Amino acid sequence: MPGNLKKKILVVDDESDVREFLKTALLEAGFEVNVAEDGDIALEKIKKEIPDLISLDLVMPHKSGAKLYRELSKHKEWSKIPVIIVTGHARDDLGKADLKELTMSGPGIYLEKPVKPNNYIAAVKGILKMDTTEEEKNVAEMVHLQNDLKNIIDSADPDTLKKLKELINDKK
Amino acid sequence: MFQQLPYNVAVIDREYNIVEANRSFTEYFGNWHNKKCYEVYKKLEEPCNDCPAIEVLKDKKSVVFDSIGIDQHGKKTHYVAQVFPLKTGRGSKINYFMEMTNTVTEKDHWQQECQILFDRVPCYISVIGEDFRIVRANEAFRENFGDVIGQFCYKVYKRKKTKCRNCPAEKTFKDGKAHHSIQQGIDVKGQKIHYAVSTSALIRGGDSVAHVIEISDDITELRKLENEVIEAERLAAVGQTVAGLAHSIKNILMGLEGGKYIVSLGLKKNNKEMINQGWEMLERNFDKTTSLVKDFLSFSKGRLPKQEMIDPVDLVLEIVDLYKDIAAQSGIKLKSKIGKNVKPAQLDHDGIHTCLTNLVSNAIDACLMGDHKGTEVLISVSEGRDKLIFEVSDNGSGIDYEIKKKIFTTFFTTKGGQGTGLGLLTTRKIVKEHGGNIKVISHKGEGARFIMEFSRKRLSSLYKQSKE
Repeated sequence: MPGNLKKKILVVDDESDVREFLKTALLEAGFEVNVAEDGDIALEKIKKEIPDLISLDLVMPHKSGAKLYRELSKHKEWSKIPVIIVTGHARDDLGKADLKELTMSGPGIYLEKPVKPNNYIAAVKGILKMDTTEEEKNVAEMVHLQNDLKNIIDSADPDTLKKLKELINDKK
Repeated sequence: MFQQLPYNVAVIDREYNIVEANRSFTEYFGNWHNKKCYEVYKKLEEPCNDCPAIEVLKDKKSVVFDSIGIDQHGKKTHYVAQVFPLKTGRGSKINYFMEMTNTVTEKDHWQQECQILFDRVPCYISVIGEDFRIVRANEAFRENFGDVIGQFCYKVYKRKKTKCRNCPAEKTFKDGKAHHSIQQGIDVKGQKIHYAVSTSALIRGGDSVAHVIEISDDITELRKLENEVIEAERLAAVGQTVAGLAHSIKNILMGLEGGKYIVSLGLKKNNKEMINQGWEMLERNFDKTTSLVKDFLSFSKGRLPKQEMIDPVDLVLEIVDLYKDIAAQSGIKLKSKIGKNVKPAQLDHDGIHTCLTNLVSNAIDACLMGDHKGTEVLISVSEGRDKLIFEVSDNGSGIDYEIKKKIFTTFFTTKGGQGTGLGLLTTRKIVKEHGGNIKVISHKGEGARFIMEFSRKRLSSLYKQSKE
């Protein structure tokens, strides 16, 4: 990828290990990476330079991922920035409501911690509609499919869930 | 004979005319000659509505009723009347009836009401003598404990052969004052019951207490509901805890995944710096696993507080001693404030110690996060209305609304990798185990106040329970 065309990713996560991990993976894949440890700092960085994609954690001190997302969507230019959510709170009370709001109205895609570097890069490239290898394409498709299924399962009633389970068991 | 009867007797015909009355009646209600009954009994000008007496003319059975009339001096009077149909001559037609009234005073009525009240109030009432034998018992009591008059109260309440320890009735016999306690007994069906009992002195002549009245409220159902609520809360907590645990592990796995990736990348590129960076990440996350497991174990210890009489002031001073240096190193003043007349209380020393260290170390962290100088942490203990109050306050970063909602939930932390999210949760758990409450008052940027309140009554009843 030519240097001046490198896509810029802003990684927002309150845990330094996660930031380092995602940053390394993105750098390896040829992206330009900026990091922020909470929503406030992320906003400051966005004001200075608009990234091509935001990798966002949900539960953070000061300004949470959900709060930051709401602020971005009110702004004409910032609302267009694609967002990928990387969270450990996808299924608990702290993150479920926020995640539902965000997946319904916005980014639509989330990865649940722990993430594999390959899946992460494939998902990022998928959102940015970048050229990908055959393997990355497959992974991206799988991540999308997994996401769709997760969304369906999260919003399904108990009866549907039962049917789904039976269906899957039949196939085995 | 008719004239001598000790009741007020009158004979009345179908048209309400009094046709005969005895001396007692005349003396009480005055002249009745050529008068209607309602004129004499009630000084009315028209027959009473729903006259119960006239009923006997229809079905020929006698009736009893009570009513209010006016005597010959114009004074209101309560009376109980019995009415009999009078047969005269042949045939079945009744033309006269006889009304016998017995006047009752206000006091009689009041006594009657008291008796009804005594029997019908939805609690167990018994009167016991100095020998602890039951002299009287109300309906509810007899229903629940059977025929008990003359028996020892401890035998009836608890099927015991000897007097109970800490018997509130015994205390009342001694000091004449009211006493309260919570007791466990066995009802007539052999079921265990819980009741809250209050004892009061009945003084009959002289100064000494001749009898004690025991009023007990059955709280068995209440206890059951309480236990159900606790059980439901416990189950919910288990669910939350498991979810929280899963989240903590996911975070650690994320760190391990990252470390593993960076190490292998470094190996591939022969980049020592990268290998080191990844290795450090792995080490950090292994350490996190250790501290998570340790915290988790200490949190999951589902034990009753080991209560003992301790001086809360000593506890506060211990904490100040423990944290003085740590705070000073970060440029934070750690102060203590001891309220007036703080008395010893039944607390679990180690538990409250943990609560206070959690709150103080949080307060120090908040001061470090705040951006102004001259930060301080104040730890105080004081007496409220039947309450022991601990408070830890700071003028650090404060807590914003969004976070305040979550601070007492499992594994919530704003300290990134530094916290396990168990500190406040453990604190709340310990406070609840003491029957107390913890609350927080804080706004972002304005510091925070954590207040732990312990009801002295709850502390002593929990203490008693743990000794039983």
